[in-house]
Amino acid sequence: MLTRPDTHFSELGIKAIEKGLADPAVSAFYDSIMSTDADQIQQSMKPFLPRLSLCSDKMPGNAPPPIFYVGKESGQRHLFGEDWANPATPTFGLRTPDPDLEHASADGYRKALEGTPYYGYAHTKIQVNGELFEVAFERLIVAVRPSLKSDLRFCAYLGVIQDLQRTF
Amino acid sequence: MHYEFLKRLDSYVPEHVQPVPAAPANLKEAIDAANLTEMWDMILTLDYSVSDAEDLSPEKRDEFLNVMSLLLKAFDR
Repeated sequence: MLTRPDTHFSELGIKAIEKGLADPAVSAFYDSIMSTDADQIQQSMKPFLPRLSLCSDKMPGNAPPPIFYVGKESGQRHLFGEDWANPATPTFGLRTPDPDLEHASADGYRKALEGTPYYGYAHTKIQVNGELFEVAFERLIVAVRPSLKSDLRFCAYLGVIQDLQRTF
Repeated sequence: MHYEFLKRLDSYVPEHVQPVPAAPANLKEAIDAANLTEMWDMILTLDYSVSDAEDLSPEKRDEFLNVMSLLLKAFDR
């Protein structure tokens, strides 16, 4: 019988985007970011903002950076729900509610923060509100500065869910 | 006596008037102190299409300030 591991994260690399193998939304965002002057980065992000999640450049304990913005049409909002995306009284930066997913996804953020956009594929089981799902998604993570001379950096994440099944 | 009655009327808030969310007065100051003003301005301009948070409706302002609270936490060192 053919079996496959529960969790699979792999980097496909930006060459896969350049060869036209990525989802059109990922491809469009990548092209826009890479072809824009650093002082125009905000305007180039604007059309994609509803599908983006934004997080900081801090990776405490090698965990993915905390999220502060979840676009209205972003994959993470779709996956984890409105209550997760809009906590009533935020006491910490947002983190994905599944610790295994959180741990497995850290490498992509690290690579993006080292300076190269990260493009990868993941297939994993996740737990959301006590329910188990199997999800497959591709994701692009890019570290950007809000302006040319800014000292700040943040990560822009665009995830596209390819498959989502509830498991029992 | 009448005066006291009028004073009470002044403080009456009609039911149909939505209360403005109690904005954390020091949130903007904390954002500025954490060197995150550019991020405040960026989100406000790109997502909410205004340059001043005071121009947002109470609901949108509440939502924006929530994002800014998360921003502050996310960059907490």
